[in-house]
Amino acid sequence: MRRDVFQAIADPTRREIINMVARRSMNIDSVAENFKVSRPAISKHIRILAECGLITVTQRGRERYCEARLQKLDEVSRWVEQYRTFWNDKLDALGQFLEEQSEDHQPIKKSKK
Amino acid sequence: MNNEEPVVVERTFNAPVQKVWAALTDNEQMKKWYFQLSDFRAEVGFEFTFAAGSETKQYVHLCRVTEVVENKKLSYTWAYEGNPGSSHVTFELFDEDGKTRVRITHEGVHTFANGNPDFEKKSFQAGWTDILGTLLKKHLEG
Repeated sequence: MRRDVFQAIADPTRREIINMVARRSMNIDSVAENFKVSRPAISKHIRILAECGLITVTQRGRERYCEARLQKLDEVSRWVEQYRTFWNDKLDALGQFLEEQSEDHQPIKKSKK
Repeated sequence: MNNEEPVVVERTFNAPVQKVWAALTDNEQMKKWYFQLSDFRAEVGFEFTFAAGSETKQYVHLCRVTEVVENKKLSYTWAYEGNPGSSHVTFELFDEDGKTRVRITHEGVHTFANGNPDFEKKSFQAGWTDILGTLLKKHLEG
């Protein structure tokens, strides 16, 4: 069985759970109360999130608490951020190319800002 | 937070759409700002490949044109050799009073991370493969 952070966040219920416990740790029953789906279904989502390292579940007395581990999500954001930087660099290059081209065609040009 | 949202970047250029379109689709012009392709044609189904990446690592990019609307839209698939992920890049051009707004949308980049050795999860999985594949095998067969 393959579990990874991308699979974990692919499901809207799981994303909602992460958002919920990101603010404060919550016990599993309180998390489940916010959803229409069954408590076992929520437990399963929580188990998947825990297996991917996105949340940790700790026993406190009789209750089990979920806490978000957001470093994992940072890894994903960083990955996506690399692409944003890449495409912005490409747009810089395109802008420069277009500017040079218009200079070639219009030798008399107002001075640059 | 949704990390499956596409990467979207936008910029407005002081140039007419025809010029920007040419920069995006004419291989001689593309070489000057984009990538060094041996050939490019803005035709649905046209496939091209090129190597690019960081100084330390080059990736072979595999692309296939999926949509062409002259002066408006160009889409192609974007994948890497040896990586199971797949993504899609779309360039959209908007004429704004003689200027051109370019929007680049890159969908599916998160699918690449799974196969990247720099990504922590991978080494984690490699660890398990080692345990299940090598050690267990040794134990059962030994």
